[in-house]
This record gives sequence, C-alpha cells and structure tokens, in this order.
Amino acid sequence: MPSASSRYLPLGAGVLLIAAILVFPSLAPNPYVLSSGVIVLNWAVLATSWNFVGGFTGYISLGHGALAGLGGYATGLLITKADLPSFVALVAAALLVAALAVPIGFAALRVRGASFVIVSIALVLILLLVFQSWSSVTGGSRGLVVPRPFPGMLRPEHHRVFFFLYGGLLLLALATWWLLDRSRFGMGLKAIREDEDKAESLGTPTFAYKLTVFVVSAAFTALAGGLYALWFGDLDPVFQFSVLTGSYIVLMALLGGVRNLFGPVLGAIVVGLALEYFKVEFGSTPLHLVTTGLLLGLVVMFMPDGVIPSLAALVQRLRNREQSSIREVTAADLAEQRRREREAANS
Amino acid sequence: MTLQTRGLRKAFGGVVAIDGADVEFQPGRVNALIGPNGSGKTTFFNCVTGMIKPDAGQVTYGGKDLTGRAPHVVARAGVGRTFQLCRVFPRLTAVDNVLAAVRPGGLLHGLRSAHRRDERERALGWLTRLGIEHLADAEARNMSWGQQKLLELAGVLMAEPDTILLDEPAGGVNPALLDRIGTLVRELNAEGRTFVIVEHNMDLVMSISDHIVVFDRGRPIAAGPPAEIRADERVLGAYLGV
Repeated sequence: MPSASSRYLPLGAGVLLIAAILVFPSLAPNPYVLSSGVIVLNWAVLATSWNFVGGFTGYISLGHGALAGLGGYATGLLITKADLPSFVALVAAALLVAALAVPIGFAALRVRGASFVIVSIALVLILLLVFQSWSSVTGGSRGLVVPRPFPGMLRPEHHRVFFFLYGGLLLLALATWWLLDRSRFGMGLKAIREDEDKAESLGTPTFAYKLTVFVVSAAFTALAGGLYALWFGDLDPVFQFSVLTGSYIVLMALLGGVRNLFGPVLGAIVVGLALEYFKVEFGSTPLHLVTTGLLLGLVVMFMPDGVIPSLAALVQRLRNREQSSIREVTAADLAEQRRREREAANS
Repeated sequence: MTLQTRGLRKAFGGVVAIDGADVEFQPGRVNALIGPNGSGKTTFFNCVTGMIKPDAGQVTYGGKDLTGRAPHVVARAGVGRTFQLCRVFPRLTAVDNVLAAVRPGGLLHGLRSAHRRDERERALGWLTRLGIEHLADAEARNMSWGQQKLLELAGVLMAEPDTILLDEPAGGVNPALLDRIGTLVRELNAEGRTFVIVEHNMDLVMSISDHIVVFDRGRPIAAGPPAEIRADERVLGAYLGV
C-alpha cells in the first residue's frame, strides 16, 4: 500500500488549493491582481491538462497551445455563427476539439520522442496559417470578437466569476488526473512512459491508451481555451496558435514535476507569476522571452524531475538517513512487517 | 496450444535474418531455440510476438493466425515474453511492474484501482515465488541486474500466459541464480506452462529442455531431444565450424 504520508499529502494539498481559490478574490487588492489570478489559473488548467499526456505517457507535446486555441475559436464561432448560448458553446467546443483530437492523435501518436515533439509543433504552425488565412470564417488577422457571457457585469465582478469558473475546472481536471493515476488504465499509461514496447508485450494496447488519454487531455485543454475566449473576449491567431504557449505549458509542468498531481499547478503559479512580472518589467523588449528561456534552462539542468519530486527526495533523505538503502532491511524483517500489516488490516 | 511458424521470412535490407523457417513448439514442453550469434533467434522471437512484421510466412498459436498482429494481441492470445537485454519499467516499483501486466478489460474496469487488494496479493505472490518480495516497494531501476531479470519474469507470469518465450534468461546472471532460474522453469512447466527459451548456456539448455530447435542462418537445421541434438553433426558444424 502507498504510505500514509503519500496518501494524505495530496488530500492536504487539495484542501489548501480549494481554500486558496475561495479566498484569493477577496484578498486581491485590485482588478489587475485578480485578472493575473485568472491568467495563472488558466495556465494551471492548461498545464494540468497537458500532464495527462506528458506526465502519464511521457510524450512531450509542444502543440497543446493549438488545442487551447481551437477550443477558444470553436467557442467563439459557435456563439457568433451558430447563436449558441455561451456556456453551451463552451461545452460543445470541447466535445468538438475532443473529436478532432482523434485524427490528430491518430497521426501524431504514431511517432515517438523527438519526432512527436516536431509533429506537435507542426500542428500549431498549420493551424496558425489556417486561422490567419481563412478570414471569412475566423476573422483572420483582424481577430475574432467573442461576446461576453454576462453583458451587464462590471469588470472586477467579471474577473471574480471567471476566477471561480477556472478554479472549478482546475479541480475537475485534477480530480480526473488523480482518478487515472490510481487506476489500471493509469498504470498502463505509466508503463508506456517507462517502456512502450515492453508495455505492448505485456498485453497493453498502447496505441488505444495513448489516443484515449490524448483525447481527454485535448478536451480539458479546449475547455481552458474556451473559457479564455469567454473571459478575454478577443482572439488573435498569432497568440492563440503560438508555439510559445505550448512551450510555457511544458516549462510549467517540468518545473513543478510531471509525475505529480500538483506539479503542473505549482509550475503554473511560479512561471505564470514570473511571466506577468517579466512582462511588466521588460514587456517593451524581447527580454521577457530571454528570462523565460533562462528559467527553462535552469530547471532542465538542476531539477530535471521538477520542484516537487526534488523537494520530496530531499525531505525523504533527511528524514530516513538510516533507511536510505533498500538493502538495509532484510527480507525476513520485511516479510514479518508485511505479515503484521496484513493481520492488522484483517482484524 | 502449439506455437507454429510456416515459411517465416524476414530480411533487413540485404541481410536475410529469417529465411523460410518452419518451426513447431509443442505445448507442455520446455523448448529451446539455439544457434550461433546472428542466426536469427531473436528476430524469430520478434516476428512471433509481433514486435516486427515478417515479410512472408505465417505464425499460428493453437491454430489461430497471429501473423503480423500487434504485440498486445499476441500477448492476450497467451504468449508472454522476456527481452534479451532485460526490460523492466525503471521508475515503477517492483510491485507496480508486476501490476502493470494486469489486463484492465473494459473502460470501467480500466478505471478501477490498480492496487486492488486481490491483484496486489497476486502480484506479491509472484514476487515471493521469485524470491524478491522484500523489494516490492523498491523502484526497479534501483535493483540489481539479476533482480531485474526475476522481476521481468514476475511481470510476464502475472499476465498468465500459457506459453512463455525467454530470450537469454541466463545472460549475465551468477551461477546460483542460474540454478534458480532453471529450477523455476521446470516448476512452472510442471504446472502446465510451455516454454521456448533462446539461450547460449548449453549446460542450462541441455539440463532443462525437452525439445531443442537449432537455428543456423535464419532457418532450423535440426530439431529433437537434447541427447539427439548433442550428437548431431550439423549442429556441431554450425556451432564449432568443423
């Protein structure tokens, strides 16, 4: 069984996160800070959605920005062209993107490693061209104005509502990730990450697994993108289909730790705040991109597993100095210990 | 169930790795597949288990055609395998390595806990049987080579195959472990599992096999019980070049 600390730690972190989401809007001193909070939560949902693919299967997608962009545009177009109510459009858009993710995943997931990364970048570039040139539908480079879902609402209240909507979506994404993490399906996905051929040879239909989790990931990503469209109200292909978006998502997930439920959230808070800060400080120059690049370099060099696993390993080392090696407990000791645990569980 | 190939052929560019192999492995036996390096033994395994598609020929298991089917289909038909350079899931614990072989069945089954008590007990049972239960919660990457080989076998057994292909089970293991692997194969065979073993250690092959197939240049040149193979001149020629 997983140890007690590993079972209760996520629960504690989850309670903390819910409390933070509930309290933050009333603590935010002004609408700008509140809107930054919305942006950070948007990143948190995107990074968590990305982690369905990246964390479980180890496939590094730089194309998730495009899935969010598709979600945004689909939501906007369903409202403006099909006259659907805002939130009906949002859900319909997510389903649409999930359906689109089937052929996309079918093509992209056939290749592994660096090839998959390149295919995922190609997706972004192709969609950028499509949405820029197909201006009769998408508005092209002039952008697409998405009507607000709450027309009469004042700006601070609008931010507050969307902060909670994003908070709810984040919790839903986290709950789903947690459910998969402990499931047989999740075990199969992790086996794919560790050794795909080996997983196949043990009977796991790896392609179907990868495709399924890619579709789930795309649906959550599209929901985040759609919410963004409803919140921000204006979509521009250059920003919606940007390789940078996907890179930031990967940076966040890697920084926090991809094999951890809350890793991407932590990464989104750190990198999201850093991005806002860099933009305020160096926004008029390309320097904010340089600083972000530096951050990515530092993470990859010094914490390749991310902050949470690195800290957890450190704590573990400090706490169990005596039991640091797996060989220091004898087989007989462990068998005895296990027998006692079983008896305790049965009684 | 009989594992059978007919006219199996696989070439990599100009190199013909398997050249029209007709082989039959009877159920209930410990079969061995021997031959010089480069004679096509591992390619044969890979063609049979679907890791690579053969250029021509047929693979059947119990009469069912498995030619060119995906590896997971072959695995689900009841053929398990280990790899020449032992493969485990490095960052999963030993018990999770074994649990990864549980088949989820349908969608709802897939969402069930991977650590259900009965499955976990069964996984621990296999680890115990192979003598590595004390490492259940250790990550596979921290285990020794020999322990990883045993772990790999535990995973394969968890999937409950009727036929198990072992690719060089004795490679790089110490004599004590070699004995244990030999004994284990005989025990598991006595419980009804069929084995096909690719192996260079002739002592092991001769002591545990019922039936030996000798490969040379991509096709079988001899087949029979150990005593017969030992005396076969073609085998001596292929192996020793006399």
